[in-house]
Amino acid sequence: MKFALLGDWKFRSALTGWGLGTLTVVFLVYQWMPILTLGLLSFAGPTGGTTFPMNGVSLHWYEELWKATVMNDFKPPLVRSSLLAAACAITTVVLSVMSAQAMRGKFRGNDWFFYLMLLGIMAPGILVGFGFAILMRLLDVELAWNTTTFLVQVSWTLPFGFLTMLAVFNRFDSRVEEAALTLGASRLTTFRRITLPLIMPGVIGAGLFGFSLSYDEYPRSMFTTGPDQTLPLAVMAQLDRQLTPEIYAIGTTTTVFSLIAVLLCTSALWAMRRSTAPRKA
Amino acid sequence: MDALAPRTAGVAPSLPVAKPQLDLELRDIRKKYGDFTAVDGVSLKVPKGQFVCLLGPSGCGKTTTLRCIAGLEDPDDGGVLIGGKEVTRDPPWQRDIAMMFQDFALFPHMTVAKNVAFGLEMLKQPKARIAERVAQVLASFEISALADRKPGSLSGGQRQRVALARAMITEPRLLLLDEPIGALDYSLRETVMLELKLLQQRTGISFIWVTHDQNEAFSLGDLVVVMNHARIEQQGTPEDILQRPATAFVASFIQGNNVFRGTVLERAGGNVRIETAAGVFIVPCLGASPEIGATATFSVRAENISDTVSERHPNRLTAHCTAVEYFGAVRRHIFERADGEVLKVDHFGAQAARIAPGQSVLLGWQVEDTVLHQGIPG
Repeated sequence: MKFALLGDWKFRSALTGWGLGTLTVVFLVYQWMPILTLGLLSFAGPTGGTTFPMNGVSLHWYEELWKATVMNDFKPPLVRSSLLAAACAITTVVLSVMSAQAMRGKFRGNDWFFYLMLLGIMAPGILVGFGFAILMRLLDVELAWNTTTFLVQVSWTLPFGFLTMLAVFNRFDSRVEEAALTLGASRLTTFRRITLPLIMPGVIGAGLFGFSLSYDEYPRSMFTTGPDQTLPLAVMAQLDRQLTPEIYAIGTTTTVFSLIAVLLCTSALWAMRRSTAPRKA
Repeated sequence: MDALAPRTAGVAPSLPVAKPQLDLELRDIRKKYGDFTAVDGVSLKVPKGQFVCLLGPSGCGKTTTLRCIAGLEDPDDGGVLIGGKEVTRDPPWQRDIAMMFQDFALFPHMTVAKNVAFGLEMLKQPKARIAERVAQVLASFEISALADRKPGSLSGGQRQRVALARAMITEPRLLLLDEPIGALDYSLRETVMLELKLLQQRTGISFIWVTHDQNEAFSLGDLVVVMNHARIEQQGTPEDILQRPATAFVASFIQGNNVFRGTVLERAGGNVRIETAAGVFIVPCLGASPEIGATATFSVRAENISDTVSERHPNRLTAHCTAVEYFGAVRRHIFERADGEVLKVDHFGAQAARIAPGQSVLLGWQVEDTVLHQGIPG
């Protein structure tokens, strides 16, 4: 009688649900714990160090960040990284839509093309960056964040956008395009009026990949950036010099800004979904 | 329904045209995908304002033929002429056509009104004119109430109307329909078929309708084109194809035929005698008569076989009844022939069955109800 409940399949499936739910929550906590730790330490007291104990709770390090020269040191790299990330996002979107479109048409050697594209994900970043730097020196090209770093980062962000767009086109019904063609729309008009609006969620996804992967890229930037550093390089250099909770304040601030950006994109996507989703009569 | 007046309305009567213009002409179209031949030498002439049904089993090449007409596929060889104009290498958007797809392919991100307006927008007509036309056409298809809805919220029948309105608004010369009612509920199909037939007659636009359903083809088509293995087996009126199947394939594909296969014994007048495993039969020979000793096939329709055999029925055989099926107006008896093949016999009328399963019956039919097929059977 005591274990009769376990014989009931509804009870068992409820139990499984709770079990898996708990596991998910534990995993999320595990994933976020390092960030939370840094976030917590950024609120350390004025005499606090970079490790526990915090020696009180204050906004001291955010104040320091606001007025201190550290911020001035970080401002130019921040601008560079943002511009670089935006450029990578746009390039990734354009190239990944074009290459995924090409894959739909099945050209000669398309499977080779697919694997070569994925090489950008698989090749170790530090080697790609180093090899690229050597090659550029050989070709006598000056290294700079907005030329060589941009090129090497696109080779990293593009495959992610490409895979995203392949997945989108995989579920895409090409008969709506054919309907547009038979109704008198040229290929370009069909793309602009029919294809692009329908794949827009994927396009935004590819752009987000391009931006976020470029923004915090370290290994590929390390050898290719030249004298003017990007944000991850500047942060790393700062860590080498002196470590104060200020660096945690920077990390927390950028994380909060990223979260806000993602939230904005998600709500934009959600609004778009709503406008194309079925409505009740 | 004025919104979709006949194409010719408003055109001043011109000099009598010497050669009647064809809406569509296919000249020996061929299309291969790797080693697979999808269309193998299809030729077709469609006079003005015809309802044409391309009928055949799946994979016979009827949809590929339609897509070649639309310009969505490039034929490897042959020519496509629409309204007398060669368009074989023209892209779809430069052809005077519209197409309706099986699942309707409505634009999911646009409202019904925007979907319907699309064709006119592509013609770069002024906005006010487009709005006026869209309102007219929505009204004539009785979907005005849906104008601001998105396709995702519509029922199958509503989507079908929207797709039709979207295709018809530019009054194309040809409307291509790929299994256009296959996605509808069975109960809706008959109504929609009748509406489409009336619409075609009223507008005078030629419809090219692809289907695997012979009921659709025979009840709608002015011209029925039966395809198999990438080729046209027979084209003609529904009566032609029902009464005079040209090949063994057509006879077996169309319901209600009994197909026999045998060897030609001798020629006698306009007839040949053919020996089959079920007996020897006399078959009228209208075209070139086959060689003696050659293999030949012929058929007889199920309703032309009688169980009250007289001297009018020289073609006779005895068969064993295995089942009786009741279809309302028709009672179909399934027999087993001496050679083990199935023989179908239809009797009309609601009277009780005279033949019961288990009986062996002498059956017969007239010589002129027997149809000799062309070609050497495969």
